Amino acid sequence: MNAEKGGNGQSFTLSGEMYKDVAEVLSDLASKTRAKSIIFADINGHPITQRGRASDIDIPNMTALAAGDFAATVEMSKMVGETQRFKYLYHEGEKTNIYLSSVADNFLVIIIFDTDIALGMIRIYTKRTIDRLEKILELAKAETKQSSEFIDLKFTKYLDQELDKAFDF
Amino acid sequence: MYINWALNEINLKVVYYGPGLSGKTTNLIYIHKKLDPSLRGELITLSTKEDRTLFFDFMQLEIGKINGKVPKFNLYTVPGQVYYANSRKIILNGADGIVFVADSQKERIDENLDTLLDLENNLIEIGTSLEKFPWVLQYNKRDLPSAASLDVLDKKLNFLGVPSFESVAHKGVGVFPTLKELIKNIIAHIRVPA
Repeated sequence: MNAEKGGNGQSFTLSGEMYKDVAEVLSDLASKTRAKSIIFADINGHPITQRGRASDIDIPNMTALAAGDFAATVEMSKMVGETQRFKYLYHEGEKTNIYLSSVADNFLVIIIFDTDIALGMIRIYTKRTIDRLEKILELAKAETKQSSEFIDLKFTKYLDQELDKAFDF
Repeated sequence: MYINWALNEINLKVVYYGPGLSGKTTNLIYIHKKLDPSLRGELITLSTKEDRTLFFDFMQLEIGKINGKVPKFNLYTVPGQVYYANSRKIILNGADGIVFVADSQKERIDENLDTLLDLENNLIEIGTSLEKFPWVLQYNKRDLPSAASLDVLDKKLNFLGVPSFESVAHKGVGVFPTLKELIKNIIAHIRVPA
């Protein structure tokens, strides 16, 4: 991961190695908690990866809503004089619950689980998962890949024709 | 922006900004309607009972592989009403580019300008500004009789000379050219930041 300066300072990149490590940690959480779905995203709602058995969840939409949900509570926490953001959010449903927690300030983990699974267990295993994820993210800070390396000349050259193809009506 | 080298994916955030009822949601609805479903996700709208945007609208779009790489664009709108200033700030966070949807009607020029200044203030808060950030202008509602001339709109709103487009969003006029230009600007900005 590399938080780049410039723009609004919110961009980051994820290497192949780091992606594998994150996925492994989330798989571990999925098997321990039996959660339906565990989704890792950045704080702006870009989905990173998902684990679990639910395949019918629209991941980009879920992460966009979760990021909005979280961002709204950050503003609320400021209004009541909190200096730190709220660490987690919990939504209780009839059949399904959603637990959201921030990870290293710039990421989110979303856990979707059946109501017969104890919240306490979700919280304990999620806390351990977050500790592991934060270590991976900390190590990855040393990586130096820039987003401009991804957008090379060929990419810029072919972008125009792909846009024309997609937007051709 | 988020880049996943393992999956060769780049995720970019595009925000439609502008005063209330200028046509931000209408842009997204048209894009959703026209694009092949394989290229876009479902459109989420978080609206009030009166169908005004309460928090944001969201839709993801893909344009296929480019040289083996997959760009994904996350399109958001902000609520235009003055009352939802905090929500606009939230949605703007992490944006990579902005379409400013202005209402062309003469009586709404001041509201456009107020919203543009609101955008500038919010950009400054996240460490950038209208000069440094990729954005384009869309003059919407060109079909209305009270629409101001392009000359007047340019003088009032386009003082930085950004790319501008005339549109009638509900008919789709100008919707895709605006988005295409913004995407090109975002990519150029990543290669060579202002």
